[in-house]
Amino acid sequence: MVELLAPGGKMEMVKKVLDCGADSVYVGPKGWSRRRLEFELSDEEIQESIELAHRWGKKVRIALNTQPKSVEAPALLDKVGKYAAWGADALIMTDVGCIALVHRHFPDLPVHASVSANILNDEDVRFYEELGVSEIVADTKLSVRELSQRSKIPVGVEVLVHASHCYTYIGKCWMSSYIRTEHFHLDEPPAISPPHHLTTSPIHPFAKDTFIGSPNRGGLCHRVCLQDWDADYGDGVLPSVQMRNDAFFLLEDVPKLIDMGVRTLKVQGREYSVALVGEIVRFYRDLIDAYTASPTDFTLEPFLQRLKDLWHQRDEERKRKTAELLAESLLPVVGRV
Amino acid sequence: MQRQFELNTSLSNRADLEASDLSSYDAVYLGNPFCRIYEGNFLERLNDLRQAIRKVKGLGKKAYVCTYATPRNMDMAQVRKVLEVAASEGADAIEAHNLGVVRIVHREFPTLSLHVGGFANIYTDLTALVLKEHGALRFTPNYELSLDEIDLLRERSGLEIELLLHGKIPLGVSHECFLLAHQKAAGVRCPQICQKDWFLRGPNGMVLKSMGKWVASGTDMCMLEHLPMLIARGYRIFRLETISETPAYRARIGRVYQEALKATLNDEQDRFLSRQHEWLKVIRELCPNGLSNGYYFGRTGRDYVGKVPNIRMEAKTDG
Repeated sequence: MVELLAPGGKMEMVKKVLDCGADSVYVGPKGWSRRRLEFELSDEEIQESIELAHRWGKKVRIALNTQPKSVEAPALLDKVGKYAAWGADALIMTDVGCIALVHRHFPDLPVHASVSANILNDEDVRFYEELGVSEIVADTKLSVRELSQRSKIPVGVEVLVHASHCYTYIGKCWMSSYIRTEHFHLDEPPAISPPHHLTTSPIHPFAKDTFIGSPNRGGLCHRVCLQDWDADYGDGVLPSVQMRNDAFFLLEDVPKLIDMGVRTLKVQGREYSVALVGEIVRFYRDLIDAYTASPTDFTLEPFLQRLKDLWHQRDEERKRKTAELLAESLLPVVGRV
Repeated sequence: MQRQFELNTSLSNRADLEASDLSSYDAVYLGNPFCRIYEGNFLERLNDLRQAIRKVKGLGKKAYVCTYATPRNMDMAQVRKVLEVAASEGADAIEAHNLGVVRIVHREFPTLSLHVGGFANIYTDLTALVLKEHGALRFTPNYELSLDEIDLLRERSGLEIELLLHGKIPLGVSHECFLLAHQKAAGVRCPQICQKDWFLRGPNGMVLKSMGKWVASGTDMCMLEHLPMLIARGYRIFRLETISETPAYRARIGRVYQEALKATLNDEQDRFLSRQHEWLKVIRELCPNGLSNGYYFGRTGRDYVGKVPNIRMEAKTDG
């Protein structure tokens, strides 16, 4: 049975998505996942999420999919030890070395390779499987046809049914931090505006650095690809061009993915409103249930109108968020080396 | 006499190789890792690749062969063909950004030396050590890392580290070409469209460079004035990223850095200081969008830290 995985960007969202039919929820510890702090949970909230989900017969995956600093490995192991003791069902990770480290110390705790690992071919899959990964997230650029050719691979496959198609491969892009980064230690969070750079200050062995503007390093992307760019090619200038970065919903492909044996269908969206995410999760719960109850009688018709409404709401929220992020990318950076 | 350092660069095809004066370089990365239909790409024209390896080696330089940065299953047969050519021609190393390619090189081509490229996302010493177990001899750290972090990676991994010293900073790689949508408006078609310099200019002096599937900084990374510091820290392998540049750029920037490296390593401080003005004049001519130091000083990638007055208005200096 395919697992519907939903985002838990806030405690309220964790409760909502489980209530709306998610089989599992993923949450990010503050500073350790590819979202900014406001969409991540404290360890106390993570423990509460695990207890709540287990009470309802559901699961919690912990996203530790930022690329940490080398000196943060002890802090990572400390955190994983806590989550394992609390009964976390799986980890979502990207950094190859950290995956190997965690698997050595916690061989019974499933590790899933994040979408930011950019697993694009069967040799990639084998590389991660040999590290100890039991499930991989398919890159959003892969077609269903490419995915179908992977049915014999030795690990589970997760597919994102709601997410963004970045212009670049997720995980292989640092345009955002090139334009603007701010960097601070998580154990000394900024009161107003974070200092730009504090690497010269002593690093607490269990502290986590986070970099605003770098999703790979624990901050939200500024979506600078969606900036209006003037494309100057020497012989002329094309005004206001953008790189493509669309958010998508999968619909027609969902039955195919279920038939292919995809293990997990994931709704991405910790940064969206709790109400919208709840509706998206309810939509996919109903879709999956309708198809699995009777594949031969299943029709997409009732879902088309619902999706149209969701699409509109999602696009409105995304447009607002993009405008905020782009405005932030223009702010001066505070502090100096 | 054995060189005290390695200065290398990159180029995509035969035309580029034939037009380039490589006398300042010790090694060359051959092939365009981002696009299969890039004009004359060595990674698709295997006879050209064979000849190129022979030519570069014949010049007494090391010939390194690139591989595709983001290969899908449909690309892997071609990747294997490239590796076969590299092995049969005695290429000095393969550069792999993709972990699947790393696995293939390690298992199927154990005689080939392996360099791991900047898109492999090596952020931690732990990852460097995993790749060492997979045969890596050298790696380029992810471009977001500061020098303090890179020092630690080098110390703990024991691997060679290749640093980007000058040129456009790789910022992203895509599965789709940004330029294809603009063929009609620009009046030029693929595969010629990416032969032009495409600069994307945004607010606040933001500038990026697009080669279609590859996005890079629009300003040039420039570590010239910090070269003595890099040498003092123990770095000896440097890349001038010229894959999107003209042969003239490649030759001139190579001469600047070769001379600067020699002066630094020979402890000719006076010579370094006296020649710096002339070198910067060349750099300013070649880099009209301005300079940055990337992330080496723990800053936003487009910042410039240093005493050299920058071309860009918004650049920060600590002088």
